[in-house]
Amino acid sequence: MVKDNVLAPTPAKILKSENMTEIEKHIELEILDKEIAKNFVYKPGQFVEVGVMGVGEAPISICAARKKEDLLELCVRKVGRVTNAIHRLNVGDILWIRGPYGNGFPMEKMEGSDLLLVAGGLGIAPLRGVLQYALSNREKYGTITIMYGIRCYTAMLWRDEFLHLFYEGDKINVEFYLSYEDSSDRQCYELQCERSDRCMQGVVTRLFGLKEVEPENTYAVICGPPIMYKFVIQELMKRNFDPKKIYMTLERRMKCGVGKCGHCIIGSGKNIKYVCKDGPVFTYWDALNTKGMI
Amino acid sequence: MAESEKPKIGIFSLTGCGGDQLMILNMEPVLLELLSRFDIKDFQEGSSYKEEGELDIALVEGSVSTKTDLERLKEIRERSKMLIAIGDCAISGCVQAMRNGQMSMAERMKKVYGVDEDYYDVLEPKGLSSYVKVDLEIPGCPIEKDEILHAITSLLHGDMPEGIDYPVCVECKLNGYPCVLVEKGMPCLGPLITAGCNARCPGLGLDCIGCRGPIPEEANVAAEVKVLLEKGYDEKYIFNRLRFFGGNFEDVQNLTKKFSEKTEKEEEE
Amino acid sequence: MYKVLANENLPAFFESLKKIGKVYGPVKVRESSYDFREVESLSEVDLTYTRTMIPPKKFFVKPKETIFDFDEEKLEFKEPPDEEVKVILGVHHCDINALKILDSIYMDETPDKYYIQRRNSSFIIGVSCTPDEYCFCKSVGTSYAQDGFDLFLHEISRGYLVRIGSEKGYELINDNKDLFEDAKPEDTEEFKQNEKERLEAFKLELNVSGIQDMLGLSYEDPVWKETADDCFGCGTCNLVCPTCRCYDVVDYVGLSLKSGERVRRWDSCMLRKHGLVAGGLNFRPTRVERLRNRFNCKGSFTDGSLSCVGCGRCTVYCPAGISFVEVMKKVRGEL
Ligand SMILES: Cc1cc2nc3c(=O)[nH]c(=O)nc-3n(C[C@H](O)[C@H](O)[C@H](O)COP(=O)(O)OP(=O)(O)OC[C@H]3O[C@@H](n4cnc5c(N)ncnc54)[C@H](O)[C@@H]3O)c2cc1C
Ligand code: SF4
Ligand code: SF4
Ligand code: SF4
Ligand code: SF4
Ligand code: FES
Repeated sequence: MVKDNVLAPTPAKILKSENMTEIEKHIELEILDKEIAKNFVYKPGQFVEVGVMGVGEAPISICAARKKEDLLELCVRKVGRVTNAIHRLNVGDILWIRGPYGNGFPMEKMEGSDLLLVAGGLGIAPLRGVLQYALSNREKYGTITIMYGIRCYTAMLWRDEFLHLFYEGDKINVEFYLSYEDSSDRQCYELQCERSDRCMQGVVTRLFGLKEVEPENTYAVICGPPIMYKFVIQELMKRNFDPKKIYMTLERRMKCGVGKCGHCIIGSGKNIKYVCKDGPVFTYWDALNTKGMI
Repeated sequence: MAESEKPKIGIFSLTGCGGDQLMILNMEPVLLELLSRFDIKDFQEGSSYKEEGELDIALVEGSVSTKTDLERLKEIRERSKMLIAIGDCAISGCVQAMRNGQMSMAERMKKVYGVDEDYYDVLEPKGLSSYVKVDLEIPGCPIEKDEILHAITSLLHGDMPEGIDYPVCVECKLNGYPCVLVEKGMPCLGPLITAGCNARCPGLGLDCIGCRGPIPEEANVAAEVKVLLEKGYDEKYIFNRLRFFGGNFEDVQNLTKKFSEKTEKEEEE
Repeated sequence: MYKVLANENLPAFFESLKKIGKVYGPVKVRESSYDFREVESLSEVDLTYTRTMIPPKKFFVKPKETIFDFDEEKLEFKEPPDEEVKVILGVHHCDINALKILDSIYMDETPDKYYIQRRNSSFIIGVSCTPDEYCFCKSVGTSYAQDGFDLFLHEISRGYLVRIGSEKGYELINDNKDLFEDAKPEDTEEFKQNEKERLEAFKLELNVSGIQDMLGLSYEDPVWKETADDCFGCGTCNLVCPTCRCYDVVDYVGLSLKSGERVRRWDSCMLRKHGLVAGGLNFRPTRVERLRNRFNCKGSFTDGSLSCVGCGRCTVYCPAGISFVEVMKKVRGEL
């Protein structure tokens, strides 16, 4: 059934479900149909439509590199009907998924270069996949720099994982920078005291003050709330980045994920794009040529 | 489900015709099954049983038109986790609000009943959200059975029902009903009005009179006035028509004001 | 291959269609509007109709349809069966060309099962038309359907000159040999003359050369705000458009709370929710951005063809009387 109907989802069992913050859950799924699982090959930056029957579907990024064929990791923020319903479910319950969709990040193209990952809030989810992929193919990539902007310590996703990189990342040539917005946040302040070269109070773009990025040999990968892109790109352009070497992943309303329902449409007559199918990963060059992209 | 686990629900009436509660009673084929899912604490038209205390869901029909209504509403809000306004009266005052922003309550009381304003402790008729936080609004005069059923099942399932915010024209098109405005020049208000009735009137060849109320923050009232003027309707007729169910909407009020200022000027001249 | 179907054979031809499947044709409903409806006899059909309000896309992507029923308990869902074979009689050039645009969207590398199923089980018969003051298919290059039909009937004085567009069409003719004759030189002469007259009859024109750049350059043009002042954001223009294919999806849960259905219905980018995402952020918050999006979408190419086929529906049925061609002319700086 699923094979010939793109709108038909397949059941996936929740294996693990962990509250990372008050509103974000990390979920590990097992695709039950093993035939489908085998072909469920995804790359960083791709997404799945996650559904709860009777409620609806929502596009959610896959937040880890593919390790086992029937496994899938997601991070879901509770913001509305579908995501609330996902949060109600427990280990053992079923989610209905379709995908993987979207183009994903061109990991091969970025081989041999340094990576600069800039994430705001939940934007770290798809970039975590990029990071994991690069780490498991460590020799193929140069220095990996991560700039992660959070509101406060309790809003930090995968805290153990990233704090580990914050302290120990340099050993594997990973530089982890952290910014936090809430100036009264004690824990973040302590991190800043410990490593003032890696942690700052303010918006994520302030971290560019801590790190000399090298435009010639670096690919930038950005994900965050819509407002963030403009500011990060400004910083990159100041440093003469090639617009074709800046990747960003966009959010739009999506109902189908396969270029039919039209909700994710952007651009002008000259250049219409579907974020679900032509994206969600675009270069800044695409943005320059597509009206209304960022 | 054990009685104690069932969501506690109350259905209340303020000032209105009681038609929305009646609509709930009219859902016969599913009514009993539906009600058995709840622990009903108050349902005026269904039973005389009443119980005080906390509620999970309060469905409130009718407008706030008296000080007693207002006290009642505040009390209901206080004890309810979720407050749902059902029917136009509870959303915008409906026909009771026809003269809002046009004539003071004192004037209205004099004109209609020949009494002073506070004789009935009246307030200008308004929807619940003018006074308290409303979690969900289900429009209609009266409400549609399907819509309330869908909303209640969604709530039982644990989800906030998704409101409709597109106009009646959409349902006309989905049903393939010929457009009475375009084809016959009838004064259809459909382009402004919240859908959900499945375009009942245009489906019968009638023009929409707007009984589900204009779409908040979407309806382009000025455009409707323009179109109807072009079709030869006179301003007074147009504004009366818009005010019938839309008296409490800001755009309707502002445009009426502009119109009456204009006619006053003309009369003076 | 060209054949002639004489007037006197039309009723028999109609009967032969019923053997293929359910026949739908343009029927007059109320005063001045037409709709494709199921028809039992030829007398119900008006092959000289102007346009239907709802285009034939309704047969392939239904205005509202259940895509599946689900049962959570059994981890099961069922697609509603749809085995109906349809003959759609009397489709105009523009609408056939519009279907080809929908084909390239719905039958791409991630095809829509429902669409394909219905497309494969329908038999499409085109019919020639005379433009009215709203038609501008000639300007956008869709005034003649090269393919995309099984048979095409061009009216001539003694009946119809028939073009065959598919094997299925050929078979039908082959099975009903006695109804058709070979086209004679005077038939082809008449056909050519009719086509000439038809093309001369177009009153409305829109220059589309370079329209994509014009739209790009007009991104901040006041035309969008001006048009938005009159527009209701009612969605009619999209819902009647033969090339608009946007849909929305809604789940309905039954009282059991364990079963229900997933439904899709036509959507429109003129409606508020089309660009709304979680947290209340709307990428097209007002009618200004929505109109701009609509015109840009219609002015873009889908698989090499302009996404507007010039059928005129959006203008005829707009309750605010907004003219597609006029707006595009403003975009071009011609008005
Ligand atoms: C490519 C992509 C990747 C994403 N990755 C993640 C992720 O990893 N984790 C995460 O928590 N969120 C992610 N989102 C955002 C997530 O899809 C929305 O938060 C979610 O759809 C909200 O649905 P809702 O029903 O809970 O919200 P509501 O506000 O109740 O939404 C109502 C309806 O609007 C639609 N809708 C609302 N917002 C969006 C949106 N942003 N995109 C598409 N449809 C929307 C939904 O289909 C839903 O039916 C991603 C979005 C996109 C486009
Ligand atoms: S009949 Fe009324 S509601 Fe229906 S499309 Fe026309 S204007 Fe809209
Ligand atoms: S049909 Fe007319 S009024 Fe309605 S949305 Fe389209 S342009 Fe606006
Ligand atoms: S945009 Fe208007 S004229 Fe063009 S195909 Fe659509 S309805 Fe017809
Ligand atoms: S014009 Fe609007 S409704 Fe039509 S296909 Fe494009 S985005 Fe969808
Ligand atoms: S999500 Fe449906 S077209 Fe992109």
